[in-house]
Amino acid sequence: MSLLREEDRQYLIKEFESLPEAVKLVVFTQEFECQYCRETRAIAEELASLSDKISVEVYDFVKDKAVAEQYGIDKVPALAVVRGGAQPKDYGIRFYGIPAGYEFTTLVEDIMMAARGESGLMPASKEQLARLTQPVHVQVFVTPTCPYCPQAVRLAHQLAVESDLVRADMVEAIEFPHLAVRYQVQGVPRTVINDREHIEGAAPEPMVLARLAAALR
Amino acid sequence: MELNLGLGLAGLGAGPEAYDVIIIGGGPAGASAAIYTARAELRTLVIDKGLTAGALGVTAKISNYPGVPGPISGAQLVETMRRQAESFGARFITDKVIGVDLSGDAKTVIAAASGTFKARALILATGSMGRTHTVPGEDRLLGRGVSYCATCDGAFFRDLAVAVVGNNDETLEEALLLTKFAQHIYLLAPTPALNARAALIDEVKAHAKIEVRLGTRLKEIVGDDQVTGVRIQARAGPEEVLPVQGAFIYLQGAKPITDYLNGQLETTADGCLVVSREMQTNVPGVFAVGDLLCSHIKQAVIAAADGVIAAMAVDKFLRGKARLQPDWR
Repeated sequence: MSLLREEDRQYLIKEFESLPEAVKLVVFTQEFECQYCRETRAIAEELASLSDKISVEVYDFVKDKAVAEQYGIDKVPALAVVRGGAQPKDYGIRFYGIPAGYEFTTLVEDIMMAARGESGLMPASKEQLARLTQPVHVQVFVTPTCPYCPQAVRLAHQLAVESDLVRADMVEAIEFPHLAVRYQVQGVPRTVINDREHIEGAAPEPMVLARLAAALR
Repeated sequence: MELNLGLGLAGLGAGPEAYDVIIIGGGPAGASAAIYTARAELRTLVIDKGLTAGALGVTAKISNYPGVPGPISGAQLVETMRRQAESFGARFITDKVIGVDLSGDAKTVIAAASGTFKARALILATGSMGRTHTVPGEDRLLGRGVSYCATCDGAFFRDLAVAVVGNNDETLEEALLLTKFAQHIYLLAPTPALNARAALIDEVKAHAKIEVRLGTRLKEIVGDDQVTGVRIQARAGPEEVLPVQGAFIYLQGAKPITDYLNGQLETTADGCLVVSREMQTNVPGVFAVGDLLCSHIKQAVIAAADGVIAAMAVDKFLRGKARLQPDWR
């Protein structure tokens, strides 16, 4: 049975026709003790069924440890959006937890962004990211029922596409309560940069870039 | 049990339909603009939070609107204007705009429930019921128990006590949503009565988890690195601290509502939008009307007139008309 409404399927089929490059969804699951692994995989497979340009690779977090390490995956369910085709590239776009609710839209937009390979960030932001010399880890805590969250996740993923030094995770706070506690998440979206700086709410691009600079000081 | 994955593509604005003009706010300014843009055969979408969300919507009696002897309620007057706009083809949806992107030729509007919409021109008519200041502790404890979105953050307050502060439809809806998670909810209204739909008020008053306190001022959010209480004061009563772990705040004030613009437009020091004589902001194609501007008298008829000026300017902007064509029909 399809997860999507028929009109949404048709809309996406049409949108994906213009994908300039192949995109691979790399999903990590595990058989037990993973609340939404099965559903996350089903979402990825449903998207792949809509376009020849989208493919899915599924790995077991425990059995395929080497692949998980290669992608830097430390919890499940996890999903990486990777450009395929002639010039494959892992931008560092990650979803931890189910990309459902409002975050499904983020996943769809990420697929298009990865295929284009263009972040769409402002010129000033691109210049700042080009000067990066050390790794940046952005974690955006969300809930699937938060309409403000996709803006924050999307911006984090744009940073990842723009710079090879940036890895950006969506983290569904309810599925990873230990992280919610560790990072004191009581409101979403909450963006944490290199465990040093945090931002409450969906902040504008220049503010996020300023905090990114502050996190590296 | 089936898992509701919520994969509806609301967020993509599933219909790739683009509008000529999107009007944010459906009070007298927005609805009047819609009458004129729709009549000019511009594809018009109005996004509004609800009939009683704005300053006119909560006005009980109006007897001085020209041509309408009254007395009628503000909500009735707005409703009449909307029906008039709809009769010309304008589409109205009830939703809250949470963000806009004004950078491209096509302007993007993101609404909380219905997703993303695009239009070549925008008319901003969100009025001036924004808060002027926060209470002590509020900014510091944002994300540490202070929240403005129960839908987003409700799940973090499972089995805890929370305060919900405000008196309008949104406040009551969020309080009801929180009953799924919280153990006890104090609904703190600054006014002597709740200012919302009757059915909603009945539901809130009947709910075992909700304790309504009317005429109660929020004075401080208490807590070191986490909300532990709210300091409140009832009219002529002593101050007290209610022990809560969350504070959801939906208070209103008299400041132009511009938060969804994220600083993309020029404003005055008072937070009012700056516009040209044709109501255009510093971004071409983006117009602002009504109480978002501070330069004028806060009356429905003035706001309506602003809306009409902007509508005609939008028509000129989109069709590249050198001169306006007044409608004499």
